[in-house]
Amino acid sequence: MINLYQAKKGQNLRVVSVPDIGLLQNLGLREGTYVSVKNRYALGGPVLLRVEKAFSVAVGKDIATQISVKETV
Amino acid sequence: MSDRILLMGNPNVGKSIFFTELTGIHAMSSNYTGTTVNFMEGRITIGGKEYTLIDVPGTYSMTPTSEAEAVAQKFMQEGAAAVICVLDASNLERNLKLAMELTRYNIPMIFTLNMMDVAARHGVRIDIRQLEEQLKAPVVKSVAVKGKGLKELINRLEILLKSATCGRKCEGCPWAAAKEICGRVSTQKSTSPGFLDKLGDAMLNPFPGLPIAILVLALLVAVVVFGGRGLRVPLIMLTDNLIIPAIRNAFEFVFALFASEPISYSFLYYDNGFQTGTRLFYGNMWQTVGNYAAVGGIADILINILIGEYGIFVISFQWIIALILPYVFAFYVGITFLEDSGYLPRISVLFDNIMRKLGVQGGSLIHVFLALGCAVPAILGSRTATTKKERLMIVTIVCFTIPCISQIGALIALMSVFSWWMTPAMVLFTMLMFATVALIASKLIKGSVDPLILEVPNLLLPNPKTYLRKLAIRMKHFLKDAEFPMLIAVFIAAVLAGTGIISAIAQNAAVQSIVSGWLGMPEEAVVALILGIVRREMSVAPLLILNLTYLQAFVAGVVSLLYLPCLSVFGIVAKEFKIKTAVLIFVGTIVAAIFIGGMVNQIARLFM
Ligand SMILES: Nc1nc2c(ncn2[C@@H]2O[C@H](COP(=O)(O)OP(=O)(O)OP(=O)(O)O)[C@@H](O)[C@H]2O)c(=O)[nH]1
Ligand SMILES: [Mg+2]
Repeated sequence: MINLYQAKKGQNLRVVSVPDIGLLQNLGLREGTYVSVKNRYALGGPVLLRVEKAFSVAVGKDIATQISVKETV
Repeated sequence: MSDRILLMGNPNVGKSIFFTELTGIHAMSSNYTGTTVNFMEGRITIGGKEYTLIDVPGTYSMTPTSEAEAVAQKFMQEGAAAVICVLDASNLERNLKLAMELTRYNIPMIFTLNMMDVAARHGVRIDIRQLEEQLKAPVVKSVAVKGKGLKELINRLEILLKSATCGRKCEGCPWAAAKEICGRVSTQKSTSPGFLDKLGDAMLNPFPGLPIAILVLALLVAVVVFGGRGLRVPLIMLTDNLIIPAIRNAFEFVFALFASEPISYSFLYYDNGFQTGTRLFYGNMWQTVGNYAAVGGIADILINILIGEYGIFVISFQWIIALILPYVFAFYVGITFLEDSGYLPRISVLFDNIMRKLGVQGGSLIHVFLALGCAVPAILGSRTATTKKERLMIVTIVCFTIPCISQIGALIALMSVFSWWMTPAMVLFTMLMFATVALIASKLIKGSVDPLILEVPNLLLPNPKTYLRKLAIRMKHFLKDAEFPMLIAVFIAAVLAGTGIISAIAQNAAVQSIVSGWLGMPEEAVVALILGIVRREMSVAPLLILNLTYLQAFVAGVVSLLYLPCLSVFGIVAKEFKIKTAVLIFVGTIVAAIFIGGMVNQIARLFM
């Protein structure tokens, strides 16, 4: 298990736990959600995710480090 | 609330387009989350009965996370005759999840699967009958921007309003219900991404995304600077040959009703007291009146003040139409395209790292871009912020360092008289101020800013009709909002000058030491500082007719940039926050403008 900020570009992941932030939950980033990393940004930038192959969300570094994920195939 | 019909749904699914199409009242729409932050209402007639259609801000859920989302919750709680729930067909599951939450309010609902074109592009197929079965409510397909599906929506809505029946009510977990329904009604076959999707992704990749971003921004600047300059030529002709003669004719007609003798044209252009624009402001009007009285009558004097070469009406129309409007138009041509294409959230993602270091987050950049047009919608738009601090940071940055396009137009006009490097230098200076103000504000304002969580929409090719309609509305608003305050400002200028108040202020020892001493400006520049309170471009425009040096022009630009936002901005800040916040910004911007403008002047002088 790693945190989302450590994930590499192109990795497919399953969300294991997320911090208690309303907007994350409301957007559908919840335990069990499948995501893939579309892009990462240098210098403390966000992580860009494709969520459930349906839509893209950028998550800032300080939240990404609090989301734990597991690699899937 | 039985006559209300609510347009509900996730952000950025097309609700405002529906509202505009159904009511004929224009609601702003753009391709990013959070365009509508307050509701709009309009009347529609369905089945012979009148209803109030309400365009509600989009929300991801009924547990709101921002001021804008809270409005959506409030409307559902107040109840309605029906809800039109707009679903993004290309992102069904998450949209259905909100729909499931909405079913708990016991309001009859109709669903429209919008963005069917985008869904088709992504290979998504949805079985409408099956979806109706699942929701136990009417469902229609639509492509709102093309007006497709609107008729059917209204027809089915009429039936729904008559029967007033509620469909399936979700008592359990809305996510689970949404997943289950979505699985039953939709299939996705994998398609190879089309050009727009590929481009949209490339723009998000640091490479080539960052070079593209720099290119796009440079292009926007070029459109404003060169497009604006190019447009000035025909508009100057239009103003001088058509608009001003028309105004003069109208006035002459009115005067002719009262005067026994026709107005002598030789007199109208008889340049005794009004030889230069400066005269209008600084000349002693009474003395001028005396000169004129010796030659002509009172009517002639009035005529000259109103429509003479530097008359109030002439100057204000020249400035608005031939000076400011070209830049405003060029800017909106560019920015509206960026808004409707979905490029702005991409900029937010690419530059989130820099913004984060400045104590804000990338999402705030959308508001900054809006503020380049006008600060008022930007400050309203900041209601999407999830914390108080974030909102205050956006407002502070916007009020201190983001010039509005009217002011930018006047600044470009001033700078371009001197040298090509003045405008880029001003842009760099603005960025420096942006960073400085953000860093200081993040230290001073208490609280915290939530890190970025931003949905990035699909890149869309703006719909020509929607695009042109938005552009037209913006220009109409500009003309409506600008001309009257401009007339007032020029009128105040004339009165202040005529009564000698300006000279009294300008010759006050303290004012002189600031304006002429510290800032190194000619004493007449004080008029710009006074008028700048009414409208922002007025902190620059009066300087166009003074003979400034390079340094003075640059200092004037710096002062104008940091100086007070206009009266409407104070109104909105006082309304959205506290009077105290507005007062702090009032005092803060004046002090910052004079302090930093003076520093630039003093430091530059050391080297000159
Ligand atoms: N391709 C396509 N674009 C659409 C369609 N409907 C709306 N759009 C575009 O989608 C974007 C969002 O539309 P809006 O009407 O602003 O969305 P909204 O639901 O009011 O969004 P918020 O105010 O943020 O809640 C705009 O750029 C529209 O032009 C559609 O059916 N097809
Ligand atoms: Mg809207």
